[in-house]
Amino acid sequence: MSGYFAYVVRRLAQFVLVVFIGINIAYVITHATPIDPVEQSISVVTSFGNTAPDAIEKMRTSLRELYGLGGSPVEQYLAFWKRILRADFGPSMSAFPTPVSTLIGRALPWTAGLLAVSTIVAWGLGSLLGGLAGYYQESRGLKLIGVIAIGVHPIPYYILALVLLIVFGFLWPVLPITGGAAMNLPQAPTFDFIVSVMQHAVLPALSLILIGVGSWFLGMRALVSHVVTEDYVVYAELAGVRPWRVLSSYVMRNALPPQLTGLAMSLGGIFNGAVITEKVFGYPGVGSLLVDAVYAGDYGLVLGVTTVSILGVSTGVLVIDLLYPLLDPRVKVT
Amino acid sequence: MTQAETMPGELPDDAQPILSVRDLQAHFRTDRFGVKRDVKAVDGVSFAVRRGEIYGLAGESSSGKTTLVRTIAGAVKPPLDVVGGRVDFAFLPGYGGLRRAPAAEVARIRWRHLSYIMQGSMNVLNPVRRLRSAFVDFAYPHIGESRKQFEQDVVAHLARLKLDPSVLAAYPHELSGGMRQRATIALATICRPDVILADEPTTALDVVVQKEVLAMISGIRREIGSSVVLVSHDLGVHAQVTDRLGIMYAGRLIEEAATVEIFRNPLHPYTRHLISSLPRIGDDVPRKGLEGAPPNLADPPPGCRFHPRCPLAMEICRHKVPATLETAPGHRIACFAVNRSEAA
Repeated sequence: MSGYFAYVVRRLAQFVLVVFIGINIAYVITHATPIDPVEQSISVVTSFGNTAPDAIEKMRTSLRELYGLGGSPVEQYLAFWKRILRADFGPSMSAFPTPVSTLIGRALPWTAGLLAVSTIVAWGLGSLLGGLAGYYQESRGLKLIGVIAIGVHPIPYYILALVLLIVFGFLWPVLPITGGAAMNLPQAPTFDFIVSVMQHAVLPALSLILIGVGSWFLGMRALVSHVVTEDYVVYAELAGVRPWRVLSSYVMRNALPPQLTGLAMSLGGIFNGAVITEKVFGYPGVGSLLVDAVYAGDYGLVLGVTTVSILGVSTGVLVIDLLYPLLDPRVKVT
Repeated sequence: MTQAETMPGELPDDAQPILSVRDLQAHFRTDRFGVKRDVKAVDGVSFAVRRGEIYGLAGESSSGKTTLVRTIAGAVKPPLDVVGGRVDFAFLPGYGGLRRAPAAEVARIRWRHLSYIMQGSMNVLNPVRRLRSAFVDFAYPHIGESRKQFEQDVVAHLARLKLDPSVLAAYPHELSGGMRQRATIALATICRPDVILADEPTTALDVVVQKEVLAMISGIRREIGSSVVLVSHDLGVHAQVTDRLGIMYAGRLIEEAATVEIFRNPLHPYTRHLISSLPRIGDDVPRKGLEGAPPNLADPPPGCRFHPRCPLAMEICRHKVPATLETAPGHRIACFAVNRSEAA
């Protein structure tokens, strides 16, 4: 197990390096934009009336301090890392003076909750059905599911989302069409609030699952139909090993690792938010936050969201890399 | 010489064969874009295997050896299709083959009575599971005993094949090719089956391991009394372990006799070529290759399939299929040049 421990240490170091480089790139790109957040804020304030020039100058200095733009570029850069390590991205410009971290903290649970649940459900359903369809290739029911999956899969996501909205929001108005929960309820873990959250999540989750199942289904079916021709599966069938055992321990077990990699990548990606989903269903998540931030030129917020998603994706990949040697004994940790 | 056409199973020194194959025909049938292809990989093969004997099947590549054992083992999946004939096991009477028997019956006899060592058996073990679970999956349901007792049996059986009990905790990729081969043989013999079908069990092994594996197969036969059908293209392997030997050419069994008899007195022109091509110590005469190539089984030559390459080919060989006749006790052969009276 010492080999595995060394592997974990090495992999963690790699993780830190990737996150470091990723955040640096995000820093450079956001700072290379022509938008100056300080001037932007000042113009917002001054547009309401006359302000004394010395007051403007004082405001400029304190804003530079706030946005971490004081001093030379090197000092700025070091100050940036100091604040990052405290998870402080400065105040948001578009929602001044709310801190960026507060905005992200508010949006993240919505996005993460919705996307984690729908990604896992879509993955589980798609992999299971795909696995069965790859193994029982003659089954009519599974063939039909395959046809449906291939049919639904290429529908542009926003079309499907809008169709769901129209069907369940207008033609047969049983579900709320916008928001994360009813506005009139306090955000507390009461029964009413939880029910409301669930109701609001049904349509966005359904749209994500319907689109997501197809690709997992097709991926798993292709993997399984390859695995079933392997000698060890043919041999186990010939030896009269029980069918469910062949399906689970021989077929699915060998087809699963690539699917799990895909799942980890998707789960890492949930912190990016689902921009279109959140826009179409008016869901208060990270995706909407990011898009609004980009429109408003709020680069502190853009940097904050980007950093969180860099962390999310890297962690997802890290977790699957650490699990892989345990999933497939042939993967050597050296 | 008696020249009556004999059916396997009517051999005088054998009351009831454990396995008898009669006129078995298995074809690979494909239909692509309206083009039908029918590859007659096994075309009317009959033979019988007695209790406790090692029956060898020899022949060059694409002679139908593997398809024959696959069909006997019931590993028939499209495009392979059994077109005709019967396969009868003494322990599964009356059905004429695994594919005609009810699924429950087949599940009952598999591994308990009939086991199979597949070609390329280095890759037959599940790469992500330890060897112990292979034994549990394959054999445990057939042996009505406690798990602890079963484990002890497995360890004892492994010891018989000179395998350390520690292999049970290993993954297949952690074992060498020879060890994997031995583990596969252990897996195929743990239930003490009546018939073991072994398809090229020594191919891809170096000669030292090959010798060990062959000794192991003979030993298993001696200890547990199984019959073995051993397929190999290597006549040296047959010379070492088999009791009787069938020579296959282009999907047909062309000669069958006791192994010693085949080596001493081969009768079929093809067999004679095979035997004379073997190197002998002290004999430095260059070996002559056989002209031509084995026929395309999708469109085999009419009559005797060997006639285009046969030095003794006669007119009758080109349009009539020679019957398999017993020319001497236990020596069956399908050739007009040998069975002159049939040609006349």
